[in-house]
Amino acid sequence: MKERKRKLTSYDPGEFRRQFSVLLWVVLCVFFFLSFKMWYLQIIQGDELRQRSHNNRIRLQEIAPLRGLILDRDGDILVDNQASFDISIIPETAKDVKSVIRKLSDEYKLGREPRADGNSSRRYTAKPFVPRKLFRNIGREKLAVVETNSLDLSGVVVDVVPVRKYVMGEMMAHVLGYVGEISLNELKHERNDIYRPGDIIGKLGIEKCVDHYLKGERGGQQIEVNVSGRKLDVLGQVPAIPGNTVELTIDRDLQKACWDAFQEKAGSVIVMDVRDGSIRAMVNKPSFDPNLFNRGISGDDWNRLVENPLSPLQNRAISGQYPPGSTFKIIVAAAALEEGVISGDTTFYCNGTYDALSRPFRCWEKDGHGRIDLYRAIVESCDVYFYNVGSQVGVEKLAEYARGFGFGTKTGIDLPSEEDGLVPTREWKLRKFGEPWQIGETVTLSIGQGFILVTPLQLLRAYCAVANGGTLYRPRLITSIRTEDGDIVDEYKPQEQGRLPVSPETIKRLQRALWGAVNDNRGTGAALKRKTRDVCGKTGTAQVIEQPREEDPVKDQVDVPYQHRDHALFVCYAPYEHPEVAVMVVVDHGGHGGSVAAPIARKVIDRYFDMKRIKDSTGKEPKVQASAGKTGRL
Amino acid sequence: MKIDRRLLINVDWVLLALVVTIIGIGLVNLYSTGYNIHTATKPLYMKQFTWALTGLALMIIAASVDYHFFIRYGYVIYGLSLLLLVWVTVQGHIAHGSQRWIYLGGFSIQPSELVKLTVIIALTKYIAENKFGDKYHIHNLAVPFAVVALPCSLIALQPDLGTALFIVILFFSLILFVGVNRKAVMIFAAGGMVVAPLLWFFLKDYQRERILTFLNPERDPLGAGYHIIQSIIAIGSGGLWGKGFLKGTQSQLKFLPEQQTDFVFSVFAEEWGFVGALVVLFLFFSLVLWGIKIARNSRDLSGTILALGVTVSIFWSVLINIGMVLGILPVVGIPLPFMSYGGSSMVVLLIGVGLLLNVSMRRFMLQS
Repeated sequence: MKERKRKLTSYDPGEFRRQFSVLLWVVLCVFFFLSFKMWYLQIIQGDELRQRSHNNRIRLQEIAPLRGLILDRDGDILVDNQASFDISIIPETAKDVKSVIRKLSDEYKLGREPRADGNSSRRYTAKPFVPRKLFRNIGREKLAVVETNSLDLSGVVVDVVPVRKYVMGEMMAHVLGYVGEISLNELKHERNDIYRPGDIIGKLGIEKCVDHYLKGERGGQQIEVNVSGRKLDVLGQVPAIPGNTVELTIDRDLQKACWDAFQEKAGSVIVMDVRDGSIRAMVNKPSFDPNLFNRGISGDDWNRLVENPLSPLQNRAISGQYPPGSTFKIIVAAAALEEGVISGDTTFYCNGTYDALSRPFRCWEKDGHGRIDLYRAIVESCDVYFYNVGSQVGVEKLAEYARGFGFGTKTGIDLPSEEDGLVPTREWKLRKFGEPWQIGETVTLSIGQGFILVTPLQLLRAYCAVANGGTLYRPRLITSIRTEDGDIVDEYKPQEQGRLPVSPETIKRLQRALWGAVNDNRGTGAALKRKTRDVCGKTGTAQVIEQPREEDPVKDQVDVPYQHRDHALFVCYAPYEHPEVAVMVVVDHGGHGGSVAAPIARKVIDRYFDMKRIKDSTGKEPKVQASAGKTGRL
Repeated sequence: MKIDRRLLINVDWVLLALVVTIIGIGLVNLYSTGYNIHTATKPLYMKQFTWALTGLALMIIAASVDYHFFIRYGYVIYGLSLLLLVWVTVQGHIAHGSQRWIYLGGFSIQPSELVKLTVIIALTKYIAENKFGDKYHIHNLAVPFAVVALPCSLIALQPDLGTALFIVILFFSLILFVGVNRKAVMIFAAGGMVVAPLLWFFLKDYQRERILTFLNPERDPLGAGYHIIQSIIAIGSGGLWGKGFLKGTQSQLKFLPEQQTDFVFSVFAEEWGFVGALVVLFLFFSLVLWGIKIARNSRDLSGTILALGVTVSIFWSVLINIGMVLGILPVVGIPLPFMSYGGSSMVVLLIGVGLLLNVSMRRFMLQS
């Protein structure tokens, strides 16, 4: 007690007055400052920080749209979507990532362990709970294995990814094309607002041509996530809009018939509706399986395609350029008739050789055809007759008429990478080679050899125009674009591109001669002769290398190396009266048109009329599958 | 020990009301942080409630015994707490890691929290017994300096630099309040300038990281800067009225780390907004002012220093913690008094409040 008293007396309460006031000010200032900072964060920066808190918890997830279907003219599905299964792992939920991966690749034989090099650095920067893709596109059997063993495979998830299913496989690869992930180059050239890295885009064929209709519109959903990225709730959703359905003019059965009929190594078959230019079938060989591209083609598969000398990726029907050979003779004939060089009765004498120039030009019939008129010249495909006529018409007029028949420019079919072909002129030769046109080159041109190049589609269109009385139609591949519900988005009507620059009499004369070429006993296309219906057509042999003129033209092409053999062409239409359908056959290095190409065309024509007869007898066309198209979606 | 009836009459109800209110708010807030956590054990707010009850009981004891008794045995109390600290530090070194807790049966205590209070008591004893009217010279400060340096170095070894620095700040606050001469101030300033850069080399990497992050939080937004950025987002996104109880997305979705301890105030500010935060700030402000009033009204020096020590300790904790969550100060592990989860902190603080009550009640007794 004493001690306490001593202390008490020594204490002056006023001693610390100054210190207390300083302390009070400090406290006041500190609390004021804290309040101020709070006000600044919550009131001034409140909206901005509130937005950041939203960004923290709300993630946007894209929903990829299903790509549109592609149907044939009867509504049968040509391209569908199917489920593909990917295996991913969420490292955070896996007990032991390495052993799970080893189990998948070794025990369940899912293939090689995914590359570890690239992932090692990524693993640390990846967001938590984001699945890491391990194996793509495993088959259903392997999926079943994974599913049944899922208890041993902690952290493994199966992603269902829609991929294209090309029902016809390689039969229609060139028309339908294929899809793949958009490339950097495509991203640069396409409109950036539509395409984004990682998008699937059509790379070839219809898939590429009407990609904007097929791709659909991506949807998205706002999901609330917690700090580990786990999905808690869906706050909002915009459904993806599936791509539109594309209906083609192609007839699936006819396409298959063409594929089956074409047994040769390489070449092309096109079937066109004479009346409106619709493509009923378009087959190319060799071909490829577009399903290979679904999840990214393997390097080996790709190299096999690219290194194949027969170029399976090429659509010969529109980008193969061939000399038209004898099929060109009707153009020469038309030019001569129209220009008054010959009349229908004009004859020339063929002794097997054309000797008007310094060097001889031979007819394929080395003994000669004797004195023949235009009809027989076309029917028997006499070269000498056309050497005479062609050299009188002259290169410029020949070129003019060739253009009139639609050569030298693209037909404008709805497919990418179509070629122009080539119609040579004096001016072109001078520009290209710096040399003047030789008269001998006109002679060669008269039988469709030399510089001139046409695509099979151009040739077919020209013959269709002859068949239908002179109208050049734009080759039509698409009839309509519809929404999933069947509403029409776009319609592709038949489109006249022009008329042949020839009179109806000339056309009649050509039609008659083309009938004769098949149905006359001496016709080069007699292989096609049928009692029941009148097929009209013309054979052609496109020379790959100029044949030695002095000797006999090589008849047996088996002795010639494959790449030097002639291309066999045949183009025809049927029936003679009111023609409906035209068929173009090219057999690369196939030899003579009459013996190689014509039998293929015959099978196709027969199939066409068989199918027509069946359809007529069963009543209406089978349109049932149109609705099946919708259920075919994923 | 008999309890004087006057003591009961003079119980400082305002102080009690302020403390209980803040504890109540803290419990409600802790309930919110644990709302989306489902554990088998007792929820955190319940544990905290138990600690608060324990603390209140100890507070009553601390208020009942005359505070001069504590001061008389100040060095003994201080020494005992130091022993606990040594024990935990040695244990920690054996365990090769940061060791701050002593496990006693079902619960654990953190001696460094206790030391905050015993240092105040020891310093009070020294000042009360060695105040000669003059300002302190540097040689007068040898004992209090040792009193502070011992636990500080032990705590720094744990390593818990935040708490160590906190005690140093407490020491200077009291010493400067009592008054030191110019020469001593100069020596401290010079010493600080020498020690500060040396200290940098003793810092662990994560501690340096924290300081660099404080200077620029966006330096490493997903790493060291993550805490402070998420805290600022949480507080700011609360706006004027807050997102509502249990509706703070930053806290409920766990974007905000350490939300039950260091960043508990961010949770509160997110859910209750500027208005709520201001209320809490005002309560703390009132508590500190009330503590200062108690110190000023004390009739003897030891009462003044003791009350001041406890009050300043609360003041600095509030400033450092809220300054940290607002991004004004670097991230150091100083809890927010009465609101952060933590048994030791809660109990020791309430004992401190008991001492405040003690001083407050006995001012009339001494007058007579």
